[in-house]
Amino acid sequence: MSEQTDLEALRAEVRSWLAENKPAGWRDLSRTQDDFVKTQRDWFAKLVKAGFAIPHWTAEWPGGGRGLAEQKVIYEELAEADCPRLLLSFASTYHAFATINECGTEAQKKRYLPAILEGETWCQGFSEPNAGSDLASLKCKAELKGDKYVINGQKIWSTMAQYADRCLLLVRTSSDGPKQAGITYLLMDMKAPGVTVSPINQIQGDEEFAEIFLDDVEVGVEERVGEEGAGWAVAQATLSSERGLTLMELSYRMRGAVWRIAELIRKHQRAEDPGILRDFGKLVTQIDSACAIADTFLENRMNGIERLGDASIVKNTYSRALRAYSLLGLRLGGLDEQYRGPITFGDLNTGNWMADFMNSYAWTIAGGSEEVQRNIIAERMLEMPREPKNWTF
Amino acid sequence: MIELSELRDAAQKAFPADQLVPDRDKSWELMAEMGWLMMRPPEELGGLGLGRDASTMIHFELGRVLSSAPVLPAMLAIEAIAASDCLADKEDWIERACTGELITTSLGGGSAQLEGGAISAKLPNVPDADLAGHVLVFVPGLVALVPLDAQHVESCELEMWDCSRRLFEVTLDAVTPDETLVIARGDAADALADRLLGELSLALAADCLGGANAAIELTVEFLKMRKQFDRPLAMFQVLKHRCADLKTQVVSAEALLWSRAGNADATTTDLGALKTLAAEVYQFVTEEAIQMHGGIGLTDEHQCHLFMKRAMLNLAMGGMPDEWHEAAGRQALVDIASA
Repeated sequence: MSEQTDLEALRAEVRSWLAENKPAGWRDLSRTQDDFVKTQRDWFAKLVKAGFAIPHWTAEWPGGGRGLAEQKVIYEELAEADCPRLLLSFASTYHAFATINECGTEAQKKRYLPAILEGETWCQGFSEPNAGSDLASLKCKAELKGDKYVINGQKIWSTMAQYADRCLLLVRTSSDGPKQAGITYLLMDMKAPGVTVSPINQIQGDEEFAEIFLDDVEVGVEERVGEEGAGWAVAQATLSSERGLTLMELSYRMRGAVWRIAELIRKHQRAEDPGILRDFGKLVTQIDSACAIADTFLENRMNGIERLGDASIVKNTYSRALRAYSLLGLRLGGLDEQYRGPITFGDLNTGNWMADFMNSYAWTIAGGSEEVQRNIIAERMLEMPREPKNWTF
Repeated sequence: MIELSELRDAAQKAFPADQLVPDRDKSWELMAEMGWLMMRPPEELGGLGLGRDASTMIHFELGRVLSSAPVLPAMLAIEAIAASDCLADKEDWIERACTGELITTSLGGGSAQLEGGAISAKLPNVPDADLAGHVLVFVPGLVALVPLDAQHVESCELEMWDCSRRLFEVTLDAVTPDETLVIARGDAADALADRLLGELSLALAADCLGGANAAIELTVEFLKMRKQFDRPLAMFQVLKHRCADLKTQVVSAEALLWSRAGNADATTTDLGALKTLAAEVYQFVTEEAIQMHGGIGLTDEHQCHLFMKRAMLNLAMGGMPDEWHEAAGRQALVDIASA
């Protein structure tokens, strides 16, 4: 069988499975964050059982060992069927898996990877109040005492940390030399004594992120990934493993949601208003372009011709299209969208355009802000020189 | 099968990036020699039968060097002839057209109508009429070739801001078309006109994005070289971010270009909307290019303005941006309603 036939067979398999198993009415079941988390857990367990949750894992895992082309097919079908995105398990199946599988010890792999499939969730303890775009300047301190690291400090912007069992933690073990060299990567139990999680109230009423306070938290030395001081390299190697697929999926979901704007145009009787039609046409072309660049990026990755900075272009294109999409919806919606009512959590389509608009900012800020991506595009793709490093008040 | 990358390499070798606006007559000869004009017609008509992505690659590369050769109108005319089911000596016409006998056509704008079997037209956007023997004319219900030296056909060169193309106003004053030169009639003529409008849009989109890429390269090189405040301008983040945004817009528009070039189901509106996106990106890139070059960008001796003038002409050619945006919006509404 040719590769193409295999892919079409997989597509048919996923599609027929989804026809039977797609979670019905999940939006209505995700009106509070706790309900959303429950919906996520159930859906993840179902996908694991069916073999569609971890296509990117290595072949020894059930449902793993699938190439990028197959992964793309699975995500396309999940988007097409309008299933919930796997958000709660995202850090677990992508970042935790990549980190532990590529850089972890045998004992760590055995202990943590099967547990992910049973529903154990991970969060990321990377950013700090004073280490955002400049992540390498992080200060959360770990001191080796005997065979344990004792950790003190604070982490922030950790996605759904309040629901996480474990944490991928970057700590500072040394202040000597370049700031990247003193960073160590640890695996931490979120139930360990001294760990306090405090959810962050966001402008749209979500508590998608949390702060993590660490007060004399002990983590065994066997929970270190890589050597002491090698944490930066470990994090770099595993951080962007998923970007292409996520943005491809999100772009297609946005394209599939354009009907919501069409509905507003009709509802407000603007279908013959040339100004609105222009805005709408321009937006559709912009979204089509975001889909095209996400596709092209994945194709280039599959063919091994990805260029430095390409991933940043895809992200900035998607996030700007998303901002334009939700802004047009908000403008067309008028006063209706200013009333605060129940919203669906964890979806592009919350049911309220004001909430969608506020959500859209997440993509220009999180995961490496638009400005950081611009630096990457300018410095790595256009080869423009970096700014001088030393600067003092 | 010829690979796209081979076409690109051949084009870049024939028209190196550092020679902008290469001599028109020499370019034209070279293109005919290289067989570019015969790439699209099917093999049974003596062509190579290559797809739309092949000609898109050529237009992209020619946009990069601001080519002055009339390959765009020539390819449109050849497409029209290849599609004709009534033109006498079709194979002969294709052979002549593919070896460099130029048939030109309007790249949009103006007016043309049929009255009592005679064509009256005012076509203010016809490239290289001085080099052409015939002009391909579209009127509702009729597509025909008209000899440029026929009676009541006048052509007059226009003085344009963009000097990388030579445009003429061609007027036809009640010209009765020669029966043997009719390409299509009735619904077939209107369908052909619509399809060629799509081809024109796609070609212009490619031209825009080739040019936009070149304008970015030019600007980034300038910023790396020019020093102020004891450092290259390229080191200032405010300029780096602007360049990054330009690159992002161009790369994304290019992805849509190749996706629609390769999609046989793309509608004329899809291609018009693509052309508009590409032309608006080109416009933005060239505006920024001049601004970031500073005073030198406003001088005639620097190349910046050449790109800006072509961008603005491309924006105006092949339909107005607002009309295409509106058409795209209307189309999406209809698609969604019928889904």
